[in-house]
Amino acid sequence: MQLKPKLGANSVGVRGALAAAAAGLLAGGHARAQETTAGAPTTTIDSALLTYHEVNRVQAIEPVVNVSQKIDEDGTLYFGVAADSLTGATPLGAVPSTLAQTYVRPYKIVPVGTSTTTVTSASGGSTVVTEPAATGAKTETLAATTVVPPNTYPLDHGFTDMRGAGHLGWEQALTQNLKLDGGMAYSKEHDYRSESAHLGLSQDFNGHNTTLSAALNYESDLSFPIGGTPTPLTEMNGNWKGPDASLHEIDALIGVTQVMSRRWLSTLSYSFSSAHGYQTDPYKIISVVDPVTGQPDEQLYESRPDQRRKQSVFFDNKIHLARDVVSASLRVYKDDWGIKSLTADLRYRWQMGRDYYLEPHLRYYTQGAAYFFHYYLVSDQAIPEYASADTRLAKFNAQTYGAKFGFALNAASEINLRVESYDQQGNGSPAGAIGQLKQQNLFPELKAYTLLLGYTVAF
Amino acid sequence: MKSSCRLYLPKGLTERFLGLAALPKARRLLVTICAIGAAGSGGCSTLGAKPWEHDLLAERAMQVGAYPIEESMDDHIYFSKEASSGGRSFAGGGCGCN
Repeated sequence: MQLKPKLGANSVGVRGALAAAAAGLLAGGHARAQETTAGAPTTTIDSALLTYHEVNRVQAIEPVVNVSQKIDEDGTLYFGVAADSLTGATPLGAVPSTLAQTYVRPYKIVPVGTSTTTVTSASGGSTVVTEPAATGAKTETLAATTVVPPNTYPLDHGFTDMRGAGHLGWEQALTQNLKLDGGMAYSKEHDYRSESAHLGLSQDFNGHNTTLSAALNYESDLSFPIGGTPTPLTEMNGNWKGPDASLHEIDALIGVTQVMSRRWLSTLSYSFSSAHGYQTDPYKIISVVDPVTGQPDEQLYESRPDQRRKQSVFFDNKIHLARDVVSASLRVYKDDWGIKSLTADLRYRWQMGRDYYLEPHLRYYTQGAAYFFHYYLVSDQAIPEYASADTRLAKFNAQTYGAKFGFALNAASEINLRVESYDQQGNGSPAGAIGQLKQQNLFPELKAYTLLLGYTVAF
Repeated sequence: MKSSCRLYLPKGLTERFLGLAALPKARRLLVTICAIGAAGSGGCSTLGAKPWEHDLLAERAMQVGAYPIEESMDDHIYFSKEASSGGRSFAGGGCGCN
């Protein structure tokens, strides 16, 4: 099968727009020798449907459609839309206990006197209660309380979200070797909004064998959590909290893509990111436990630094064997939250027939913990400035196993189906655990499955 | 194809020669990557393929970002489940999922 290389970027949401813009720049013009103006496709429609299933946690479904349209010999317009629907349970950050625990979160603002029985119940088996309103206030807060049974990892079962995203961009060949790409993206959830704009340049050398690229992205986000923005390290309660919080981030990416030989393409890139603003998870808490028994005394809202600088180096190789293609990549990452990680990814595209292939996929990921990650805090010790029990900031390993089957319907269209599993393992029994925490699993394994159906057509 | 880009330099010599040792670690990394890029653009003229040898490179499977939706969905999932992002693309998230 030989599809014409896509000149336009195709992507999903803001993140997708960024990924595709970067990929488009890194791709450069190494494949242009095969292009012919006459009869070449001018429109590419790329679509996919993702279903994501976490065992006992989040379920998600995400349809995506992207279009790239070649406007003239040098310019390509690209745009796309995506939607997410998520439901299920997500970890609160609190430790489990041998005793039942009750958690409360603000749920809705209603006129004073509204009966809780007339309000749609908070999902996930929670009970809706009314928080006392101030004297003379015209509104009051409804709060959802959840009881977590003994020896159960505390989850927020009321997790639900909808997200819509779109992006629009333009790619322009300024000369035969110089390409400019610019665009913007927008994403909106019921409690979060993201806007971004990017600009990139790529320059080919050595007869399109080498591409140097550089790109910048600016992102401005606004967080408006249900229940308001809590003050970090204050006790969890059902009261409505602070105002919206913003986050600004600048990303830079430079890279070189080199045709090593007729069968070998190599890419090396470096990305730098600087974020300033609200980066705390407003729904996450951290337990403060008794120094002897290990029973939670308090549940505090977590606290993260408002500055974060990330760096990563990404090295990717694609090697064409007799018929099959091997893709292998390595990423080294570090940031000033103290997190270091290594990601290795291997795909083997087994071209079983002229029109179909099977591609097994392995990914290994390992990360260290953020310096402010704690499984819990202890009540007889000073509370640090920053503290989070979010296990995504903990030390853990993860593996992805998957396979994709692709079938070319004709020379310009492909349908593919991918199935993958994702496993995450951390230390659930940290050294020095106190009292009842010794018998609890403080890092429950995360297991997820994805099913991805994709269809691409060019005409 | 035979490469003309083999380097046999003692460890640390490049950094001392280029004066990189005096630079902060992050900047040193940046300069090193630029140097590799510059080598790729001019110093390694025997690397690569002739125009008539780009047939295999033009196949979809050999493209950088050949399956952009798949890659961006993966990035989105990993961004929401892990602490790292960036590398293949920008590190920004575009969502409130982390």
